[in-house]
Amino acid sequence: MRIKTWVLIALIFLWGFPAAASEEKLLVAVAANFMVPFAEIAAAFEKESGWRIEPVFSSTGKLYAQIINNAPYDVFLAADEYRPGLLFKDGLCEEPFVYARGEIVLFSEQSDFCARFADWTEAVQSDAVKKIAIANPETAPYGAAAVAGLKDAGLYESLQGKYVFPQDIGQAFQYASTGSVQAGFCALSSAMTDQGKKGCYLPVKQAPPVIQAACVLKRTQNREAAQGLATFLSAQAGIKIKEKYGYR
Amino acid sequence: MDTGSIPGPLWISFKLAAATTIVLLAAGSFLAYLLVYRKVPARAVVESLISLPIVLPPTVLGFYLLILMGPKGAFGRAWEGIFDSSLLFTFTGIVIASVFSSLPFAVQPLKAAFAKIDRRILENAHVLGLSSLATFFRVVVPNSAAGFAAAAILVFLHTMGEFGVILMVGGSIPGETKVASIAIFEAVESLRYRDAWVLSLVLALVSFSFLLVVNALNKGEYDGIKS
Repeated sequence: MRIKTWVLIALIFLWGFPAAASEEKLLVAVAANFMVPFAEIAAAFEKESGWRIEPVFSSTGKLYAQIINNAPYDVFLAADEYRPGLLFKDGLCEEPFVYARGEIVLFSEQSDFCARFADWTEAVQSDAVKKIAIANPETAPYGAAAVAGLKDAGLYESLQGKYVFPQDIGQAFQYASTGSVQAGFCALSSAMTDQGKKGCYLPVKQAPPVIQAACVLKRTQNREAAQGLATFLSAQAGIKIKEKYGYR
Repeated sequence: MDTGSIPGPLWISFKLAAATTIVLLAAGSFLAYLLVYRKVPARAVVESLISLPIVLPPTVLGFYLLILMGPKGAFGRAWEGIFDSSLLFTFTGIVIASVFSSLPFAVQPLKAAFAKIDRRILENAHVLGLSSLATFFRVVVPNSAAGFAAAAILVFLHTMGEFGVILMVGGSIPGETKVASIAIFEAVESLRYRDAWVLSLVLALVSFSFLLVVNALNKGEYDGIKS
């Protein structure tokens, strides 16, 4: 046989393999704040159900924009109730349900940072804090919660010069935990990871709690498994993992 | 945020492209001059390093710059020591990032232009007692105007469209580092398609008109071959 034929055969095989392997797979769109707990939940669910979970992490707004443009997700775990609600109204997903209640905190990678201030409002106003990360409030509900907290404390306008706007709450934590910014508004769950425990955080009482809803998308080809994952989120095993990362 | 969401980012992109072009015409002509007229140790290594940004994913460059310019990176620490301000998430920071990212687009056309200059003119200048510096400004530069124009336009356009590197080191600060390409990305992701349309159209038209000028200027060179 000529080389060309071999190449062709090899290509056909390469083409065929991943397709065959991907049949028992759920593609899940997950809000960035839920990244670490979801990895644990997915591992536990994979073990129980035999399904493979393929998560995609981004800000809720970006995932929403992908979904209304027909992204091939099976389940959507948002960081708000608003966007799953919109999808439901437009007939794109089943009825949404609340799977987690999260909280925004002011995080710094310097472990002695928090002891230096009475509370977060004093910290953000301090000269030691030159830059503050806030996830893009337009697409990231945690960023929106941070902005709401700042506005409630009457500080939003006066601190304009300090803000840096990462694309999602995961990038906000990345900026804060690498010291690229002195402090960042992050999800409490990030502060409770191993990386987060090296730094410290101050609670932001003025910020509203982040109520996170999820829904099974109507376009899924694997409705039963997707439903299974939805149930698993609220089952005992799922609750335990969520509590570990500060969700209620 | 709504009214400023279109002119603001365009203005920053323009400022960034202009600053990068100025820096790179100076730095690029210096490097190109060394590479063409001087003995450069490990030339292959140097030339490969300069061309690297063309083939490297912008995220790789962005990642290195994020580490290097960060408060723990050597460059970032030195900068903070001198200027008492951080480099990441500032306009100066994205200018530096764009300079690295567009370096080959300045050096390659300048190198080509310098190499085309007749060596005898340079030897004459030397014999007539012109210093290297004077030779550069009075002989090399006037004889490679086309190379400078090509470098300037390539760098300017490439920087107008800079995205990946700035996404990593910019931080999307309105009025400071939120350039047009980032604003388009955010507008699309936030479903503000009208803003995305306007910004994209402006960028496309600007790039097209610049290239039109370049091609019109180049036309003369090919006319002779055709006939």
